[in-house]
Amino acid sequence: MSADDIRRGSDIEELRIEGLTKGYLGVQALKGVSFSVKRGSIHALAGQNGAGKSTLVKILSGAEIPDGGSIFLGGELMRFREPTDAQKAGIHTIYQELSLVPSLSVAENIFLGQLPTRGGTVVHWGEMQIQARAALARVGFDLDVRLPVSSFSVAEQQAIELAKALHKDARVLLLDEPTSTLPLPDVDRLFTVLRRLADQGVTLLYISHRMDELYSLCDAVTVLRDGITAADLKTADTKPADVVTAMVGKSLEGSIADAALRGERSPRLGAGRSEKVLMSAHELGEEGRVSNVSFDLFEGEVLGIAGLIGSGQSELAGLLAGARKRTAGVIKLDARGVVFKSPRDAIRRGIGLLPQDRKSQGFIPDMGVAGNITLASMSMFSRLGVINGKAERRAARDMVERLGMKVASVGQPMKTLSGGTQQKGILARWLVRSARLLICDEPTRGVDVGAKEDMYELIRDFAREGGTVIIASSEITEAMMCDRVLVMARGRVVAEFDHDDIDPQGQAILERFA
Amino acid sequence: MSNNTLKAPVRLPADGASGARTNSRDTFKRILPKSYLVLVLISIIIIGYYVSEDFLTVRNAENVIAAASIVAVLAVGQFFVIVTGGIDLSVGSILAMSTVIVALTLQAGLGAGISVAVTLACCGFAGLINGLLVVWLRIPPFIATLAMMSAIKGFSYIIQSTSLIQIFNDTFIDLFSRGTSLGLRNPVMIFLVVAIVAALVAKFTTFGRSLYAIGGNPEAARLSGLPVHRNLLITYTLSGLLAGLAGLIAASQLRQGSSLIGMGYELDAIAAVVVGGASLMGGKGDPISAVIGVFVLATIINIMNLVGISSEPQLVIKGAVIIVAVFLSSAGGVQRISGFFSKQFGRRTAAVAK
Repeated sequence: MSADDIRRGSDIEELRIEGLTKGYLGVQALKGVSFSVKRGSIHALAGQNGAGKSTLVKILSGAEIPDGGSIFLGGELMRFREPTDAQKAGIHTIYQELSLVPSLSVAENIFLGQLPTRGGTVVHWGEMQIQARAALARVGFDLDVRLPVSSFSVAEQQAIELAKALHKDARVLLLDEPTSTLPLPDVDRLFTVLRRLADQGVTLLYISHRMDELYSLCDAVTVLRDGITAADLKTADTKPADVVTAMVGKSLEGSIADAALRGERSPRLGAGRSEKVLMSAHELGEEGRVSNVSFDLFEGEVLGIAGLIGSGQSELAGLLAGARKRTAGVIKLDARGVVFKSPRDAIRRGIGLLPQDRKSQGFIPDMGVAGNITLASMSMFSRLGVINGKAERRAARDMVERLGMKVASVGQPMKTLSGGTQQKGILARWLVRSARLLICDEPTRGVDVGAKEDMYELIRDFAREGGTVIIASSEITEAMMCDRVLVMARGRVVAEFDHDDIDPQGQAILERFA
Repeated sequence: MSNNTLKAPVRLPADGASGARTNSRDTFKRILPKSYLVLVLISIIIIGYYVSEDFLTVRNAENVIAAASIVAVLAVGQFFVIVTGGIDLSVGSILAMSTVIVALTLQAGLGAGISVAVTLACCGFAGLINGLLVVWLRIPPFIATLAMMSAIKGFSYIIQSTSLIQIFNDTFIDLFSRGTSLGLRNPVMIFLVVAIVAALVAKFTTFGRSLYAIGGNPEAARLSGLPVHRNLLITYTLSGLLAGLAGLIAASQLRQGSSLIGMGYELDAIAAVVVGGASLMGGKGDPISAVIGVFVLATIINIMNLVGISSEPQLVIKGAVIIVAVFLSSAGGVQRISGFFSKQFGRRTAAVAK
């Protein structure tokens, strides 16, 4: 972070939001959000899941129509009825899931919907490629624009998406957690690009859960809490803890997330292990993903498996939970060899998996909260195949209360909940079943600080009550909370650390990443 | 787990008055798409009452219901397949095969009970093959059942060997078309029982719940330990079995078995399920709505017959009805239309206020 970055932005107001409100099915998502953004600045939007960030993004991108309030762009009142209205006005949104067509070429993607033509009918390929390269050059990338988008990395695809927005004369770019799927070196590169765009006068609205990012990249932060503007901060004269405090509505001093933010020695999640080996792996492998992994997992322990994204920690978690098929090695549970033909076999033996991708692996979108919570334990709530609805809802309500899930009722469809609440619902699925081994694959991905803290507390409680936990993670702070960390690189375990041997910055672990 | 997990109590939207108002409006919005189907059916019946004197008579109602009962039974089976995210195009052919097998076995002198059992077993087996193709060979349901549709049709033709086989067995004809139980004609009784049992299974059993889960998110269902493969096999078998049952009703109504019976019924069943609000992506809908969907389509056809519209324009109108009904139920049409009107209405009141 340098002083130059902070002084970015002109004094002209580019975007002003006034008293925006929006309600859904009995939940008031926005209760009056107001803030203003300077032209050419990078403005962060922070808030817990459920605070109203995504609703705000949807309204700004024209995907939702607000109930009340107004949006001014360059001093002009805007009324967006659909996404194309917002785009025509110059507000472009880049979502976590990129919206490129993988099989089309880079140039076609950039020009999608408005291919340059000769005489109005035939596509002018040459012209298109020249312009596409120019658009990419603006974001500092030089790619072969004739190749299909699918042949490029996530970082490059993001650049293509940026180029596409710029080509359509974007004035304001909304970036919804753009770094959540990026490896570290690419994050730096993205930031360089974003700063360059800001210098060119593009206004950026940046959403992220990562405080360090907000403070190294953004000029100002607007914090949302429960649908209102909780704070408007300048990054130059505040610190990350201020944002977190505004997000949560109380001081986080002494909490796990706070310690992680301050870079202090992480507290332990584990409650102290027993000498009994619960599970062990011997030369476990999956062709091309994981090779030759051996370890013992002790009862009551919180074991971290850390590595950069794609290092095999997620695959290893899948193998241990029966979600993937091993091609080599042995897994022993309670000193007996086991073969998991499916997750079902692992679940029967008391293993629960918190999968990495909530949306595609975690929950049934249209099913209610109760149905999702009891999904893995329907037999406990049924007799001869008939579900006891009362008992089921009671158990679900208990879980909702115990885990502090924000829901209107246990019948509310899971897809309408915030990411953190959904994650708690999936955790509840295994708590209801009384699983003894919890395998968490990136348990706090896409989850805000408050819910993150809750997840850590829940994992800690689970361990304290005798449960055993494996956390596969690409986040260094998460790995540092574990009793023991296995570091993975290219599908192999390359190092093992005890919690007490890890330095406060986690350099020891980072050095073995690669 | 210890107490320190207990966070602040669940926060619900406060602000009593406005909260209550949004709630009642939301309840209305939520119920509307479900009850709209019944409203559509009632309005069709009212239209029928005005355009034809013969429409609202017991005799005509009996005819409509008897004819619809075949497709209704098919639609229930189809519903279960569709809710898992699959589709079964072979049910028309299985229905035809059912009529042929029952006619053949009766002709061979077997008793009605044994004939029925053999027929249902064969149809269930055909459904099981569908399931195996989908689960084991991982052929997409559309392709697997399309192939089976053709294969079964050919198979029925081969075993029937003449153009049609007549049925003279009175026990069988009584059982599936002529007879009554509890004052209802047997085919009506059969489809009512099938529909009610299906509704209960879908809503209250672990099996039904797991089908919604499989259709809603197959990977989440698998990772939660649901027996995905087993339940898919059961579902396709069930669809075959119900197609066989529908075939028995058809055979006894027509008193013959023929591989030509039931052509295009699979599409009628799919249309009814979709009109009933199910999504072809899976995970949504319910069997009763599917049955109501059958009646919406059957009643319209019946009215057109009574009025004397010839069969070609009937097809055009039927197509239009399917599109309108699906727009209203699954494409969010009700919300869009009500949204449009409330906006118009809102503007007008705003203008008046000024």
